[in-house]
Amino acid sequence: MKISFTINSAKVELELRPHETLLKVLRANGFTEVKSGCEEGECGACLVLLDGKPINSCQVLAMSVREKPVTTVRGIGTLHLPHVLQKTFARGGADQCGFCSPGMVVAAYGLLQRNPRPTREEIAEALDGNLCRCTGYVKIVEAVYQAAAEMQKEDTRTE
Amino acid sequence: MLPSTIQWYFPRRLNDAVKLIQKDGVILHGGGTKILEPQPRSSVKGLVDIGDLGLDYIRASGRSVRIGAAATFADVVRFAREKKRLNILGTSLSHAASTPLRNRITIGGSVKDFPMWSNLYAPLLALDARVVIAGMQLRICPIEEYAGSDLIHSRHLVKEIRVPERSDVVYGIKTFHVVRFEYPIFTIAAAVAMRKGVVREARIFITGVRRKFARLTSTEEVLHGNAITGRLIEEAAGKSSFSFVPDFRFSAEYKQRVARVYLKDLLREIKQAAA
Repeated sequence: MKISFTINSAKVELELRPHETLLKVLRANGFTEVKSGCEEGECGACLVLLDGKPINSCQVLAMSVREKPVTTVRGIGTLHLPHVLQKTFARGGADQCGFCSPGMVVAAYGLLQRNPRPTREEIAEALDGNLCRCTGYVKIVEAVYQAAAEMQKEDTRTE
Repeated sequence: MLPSTIQWYFPRRLNDAVKLIQKDGVILHGGGTKILEPQPRSSVKGLVDIGDLGLDYIRASGRSVRIGAAATFADVVRFAREKKRLNILGTSLSHAASTPLRNRITIGGSVKDFPMWSNLYAPLLALDARVVIAGMQLRICPIEEYAGSDLIHSRHLVKEIRVPERSDVVYGIKTFHVVRFEYPIFTIAAAVAMRKGVVREARIFITGVRRKFARLTSTEEVLHGNAITGRLIEEAAGKSSFSFVPDFRFSAEYKQRVARVYLKDLLREIKQAAA
């Protein structure tokens, strides 16, 4: 069946079956920036924002969220128009294999929307659902902290 | 895994949702995290989504807080931090699962489900919460009665949890887990009412035990009518008995020892908070 969703602020018709998770439906309909990791809600690779809040798309049935806005990492920033977070990740060495990075960026973005000046402890808490096997997390936390500082500077400049 | 032929229902009225779940094979869907656990679900024919029932509220009125069944763990943690209320509940739930999962796990679903590793039940039991149940009739039930009876297995919808707060009560909670956001091995929560330094009443519960929860009545009896001293704490903790199930991490005996230590720590914290 085809159901209308709002993905990255655009209305799209997605092909789905009623028992499928949001992760499966997104990937099957071309949103492959949402990564499939554990499919058990443990690794955070599949994170998207649902109504602005980070959720594991592997733990949500797509039909149940058909009327809520979904944001994937591509809705936060792209290769040609990267978000500040993506820039600080790349600059700061916060990605190695890159597989966890989309989920990390989504979690961090969700945090910065609620809390523009998080402490490092608050960043670590916000990323508690994201696993990384490569970096040891320190550079990831620093990248988010740096992004928050840069976003604060930009906001001060525009005021 | 769910069958591909499941039927979805999106009722807008509570009564409609209750009628739907009386059908065989039709179950409730809140956050959905329980439904997606890897276990056979071939008998599920329909899912009744509670998203349109308007149950995602948390309302403080006077000395009590009403939490709608569709409110998430994250909603309760945020409420507790911002309003500085329901602290033991907020503290316990802030350690449950992870940030993204807390954005989906619902209070109603977790009350109905009551897993062995629940972060939710110990504080609700200590707080003497009430469960508002929508079945064939609307009913309000103390959570201790709800969890300990066959009612929890009947076909109903949890509508709301009502949590009273008392100004004469000191609350405390301790959770034993290996890492911060792991499933708790056990949780002990206490609510102790005192007047002029003397214990008037106490509610002390532990979850994660063999029968899922237990009230530590022997400990409560030692405390009742007395001022909390170091000696009383030793005596009260000594009277406690726990029945744990051994697992791959810890023996039952080890869990009992740790539980006794945690109980003493909790009583010391309550004594300090009351001073």
